[in-house]
Amino acid sequence: MFEGVEVPEGMNVEVLEHLMNPHNYGKLDDANGIGVAVDEKTGEYTIMYLKIDDNLIIEDIRYATNGCQDTVVVGSMFSDMIKKQNTDYAQKAIKKLYEKLGSNMTAKQRVCADMVFTSFIATLKNFENLKNGKSEEAHILKMKESCETEEKTDE
Amino acid sequence: MNNLYKTKHELWLKILFASFAIDDEKIKSRLYDFSQISFRHLKWISEKILREGKDYNYDRDMMLYKRENVFEILKALKEDIINTQKIYEDTELFSRIKSDEKYLLEFLDELLSDESNNQPVYAFNMQNRFENLDIESQMSLRMFLFEESYKEYELILVYAYMQARTNSIKQYDVFQDLVDESYFHLKSFGNMMAQMGILALPRELHELSYKVDDLQKFIIDGIKEEEAAKEMCIELSSSIKDEKLSKFFDFINNQENYHIELMKRLLDE
Repeated sequence: MFEGVEVPEGMNVEVLEHLMNPHNYGKLDDANGIGVAVDEKTGEYTIMYLKIDDNLIIEDIRYATNGCQDTVVVGSMFSDMIKKQNTDYAQKAIKKLYEKLGSNMTAKQRVCADMVFTSFIATLKNFENLKNGKSEEAHILKMKESCETEEKTDE
Repeated sequence: MNNLYKTKHELWLKILFASFAIDDEKIKSRLYDFSQISFRHLKWISEKILREGKDYNYDRDMMLYKRENVFEILKALKEDIINTQKIYEDTELFSRIKSDEKYLLEFLDELLSDESNNQPVYAFNMQNRFENLDIESQMSLRMFLFEESYKEYELILVYAYMQARTNSIKQYDVFQDLVDESYFHLKSFGNMMAQMGILALPRELHELSYKVDDLQKFIIDGIKEEEAAKEMCIELSSSIKDEKLSKFFDFINNQENYHIELMKRLLDE
C-alpha cells in the first residue's frame, strides 16, 4: 500500500496501514463460530466471525469493534496472522502477538488487545457449542478488566 | 431496497469524502453541500423503508477514491451517481432525488470542462501540510483524527437510526442537533486528515453499535465518551504547538459540553 510513499517520521508503517485500512474488517455471512467480548463498563465490544473447515483450518475471518484504534490495529494484525491457519496455531498466535507488541504496549493497550483475543476465544467456544448441538447465536464473554479502570489505575 | 439503501449510503460517503479530498474551496464547499443533500436523501429513504414495515442496515463495501488529481475524483463520482440512479424505483421520492442529482451532475460537468480545475490531490500522500507542528504533535493529531473521525461517523449513523424510530418530537429534535453537530465535527476532522495526507474512510458500523435495546445505558455511555473526547481535546490543545489548531481544539472541547447537555435532555425524557 505504501510503495514509493515517504512515511512520516515517527510513524510505524505497519500500524499506519492497519489504521487506514483495517484487514478482515466486517461481517461473515457463513460463519460457523461467532464470539463477542464486551466491556460492560464502557459498552465497548469486539465481535469476531470465523469460518472453520473440517480440518479445523480457519478458512475466513472477520471482526468488528466500536472500540478504539488500538483494538482495530490488534484485530487487523491478529486476523492476518491466523487466517488460513489451524485453530491450535491461532491460540499460540495470541502469545506471539503479545511478544511482538509487548514492551511497546501501555496498560490500556493491553486491555484493548485482550478484548480482541477474548472475542477469538468466545468464537471458538461458539464453534464448539454449535458442534455439540447447542443453539447459540454467538458466544459472549465479559471482559474482566476495563480500559476505563486501567486508565484510572495508571494515573 | 436494502441494496439501494446501501448504495445510497456509499454514494453519500463518496460525495462527502470527495469534498474532503479536494483542496479548491469552491469545489470543496459545493460538494459538501451536496453531501448534506445526499444525507437527507438517505433519511427520506429510511423513513420510506420503515413506513413500509421493512428494515435497513448500515452495511457497506466501498473503497475511497484515492486519486492523484481532481478530475479523476470527479469522473469516478459522476460514474457512480449515474450507476446509482439505474437502481432507483419509479416513485415520486426517487424522481425528486434524481432531480437533485441532475443538478450535481451538471455541476460536475461544468467543473470538468475547465482544465484549470484539474489540480493535484494531496489528501492521500502521507505528507503533513500543517505548519508549526513538531513530530510529537503530528503523531498525537494523527491518532486523534483516526479515532474521532470514526466516532463522529458512528454518532451520525446511530443518532439517525434512533431519530428514524422515535415517536417523541423532543427526542427527534435532540437527535437532529446531535447529527448536525457530529456532521460538522466529521467535516472538520476529514479536512484535517486530508491536510495531513492521511484521509481514510471510517470503518464500517456493526449493527451491535446502532441496534440499541437500552437507550438510557446508551446515553450514559455516550456521555462518558463525550467526556473522554473532551479530555483528548484538552490534551491536544495543550500539546500542539500551533496556535490556530490549539484554539480549534479548545472550541471542540467546549462544544462537547453542549453535546453532553443534549444527551442529558434525552435522559430526562
